[in-house]
Amino acid sequence: MFKRFLYTAREDLPGFVVLALASLCIGLLLNQFRAKPLPLAYLTKEARMKESVEKLASVAPLEARETTPAKPPESAVEIQHITLDQFRLFAEDGESLILDARPEIFHRLGHIPGALALPRDEFESYYQKHRDALEKNKARRLVIYCQGGSCEDSDLVSKALVRLGYTQIAIFTDGWNAWVAERLPEERS
Amino acid sequence: MRRLLNNKWVVIVLRLLVGGIFIYAGALKLQAPQAFADSIATFQLLPVELIGIVAIALPILEIITGLALVVGLFQRRASFAALIMALVFGLALGSALFRGLEVDCGCFGSGAPSVWKTWNSLGRDLILFATILWIYNAQVTHHSASLAVEI
Repeated sequence: MFKRFLYTAREDLPGFVVLALASLCIGLLLNQFRAKPLPLAYLTKEARMKESVEKLASVAPLEARETTPAKPPESAVEIQHITLDQFRLFAEDGESLILDARPEIFHRLGHIPGALALPRDEFESYYQKHRDALEKNKARRLVIYCQGGSCEDSDLVSKALVRLGYTQIAIFTDGWNAWVAERLPEERS
Repeated sequence: MRRLLNNKWVVIVLRLLVGGIFIYAGALKLQAPQAFADSIATFQLLPVELIGIVAIALPILEIITGLALVVGLFQRRASFAALIMALVFGLALGSALFRGLEVDCGCFGSGAPSVWKTWNSLGRDLILFATILWIYNAQVTHHSASLAVEI
């Protein structure tokens, strides 16, 4: 029975290869019609963020580029990692801007009250959307969160913001999971 | 036992179930190709040059396989394709666990990776693999019976 199984599997293998190649051709064709085609050369999340930051820095209004004071070296900016209690203090003091680094759909389904969506995977477009609010005062404290645990989105967004010249950045490490676990209020878009 | 394994209606129900799962999984990946490419990258198995190609081809392969299983066309070949995919997924997940990696399987949309999620994905994949093996075995038996009749 096993021999019969192997014999049939060997018969089916070429068909699988043809199907895989056909899938690749269809996939490549469909990819061309996407609003944002996936590049064949894979770029890591960090590399994509770096590209977004470079594009954003290059489209800053000329007056802003001329009048903005020289930004401190990135290594001089210390990113704070804060607990839920510290986060609640910052959220209530009215001086901090809360940023949600999770994918936009999660933000829409529920976010910390007052948080602006700045998803890591759509950083460039959402930064442009919130540019005025963000660049009004680059020394204002920005507090970023994502899902929590091993989520790296808040880390990547914070580094991008440092590259864009922001100096007061904190990451709420335990993120949305911790907020929801305490049954704290949520907002929906 | 053999009669249960080859019962026509059991195989049909399982074929529809597996076909539906593959269509669903493929459609989710097709909607977010960049996120799927990021999931593939977390496995640290493929060279960078192949990640984009796999992220583009695999969802289509899943959808075509799923449709063939649901509609009942080329059932044996479709279940073989599903078997190969489930086997490769399982080996990739097993390899990630062996190397102590936290991966996001990306099987049904992408999310934050974790060891628990990786084990969970492997468990799901083993069940899926066993189910597809059942379906494929039924097809092989049917195919052999047809050949025997012809002879």
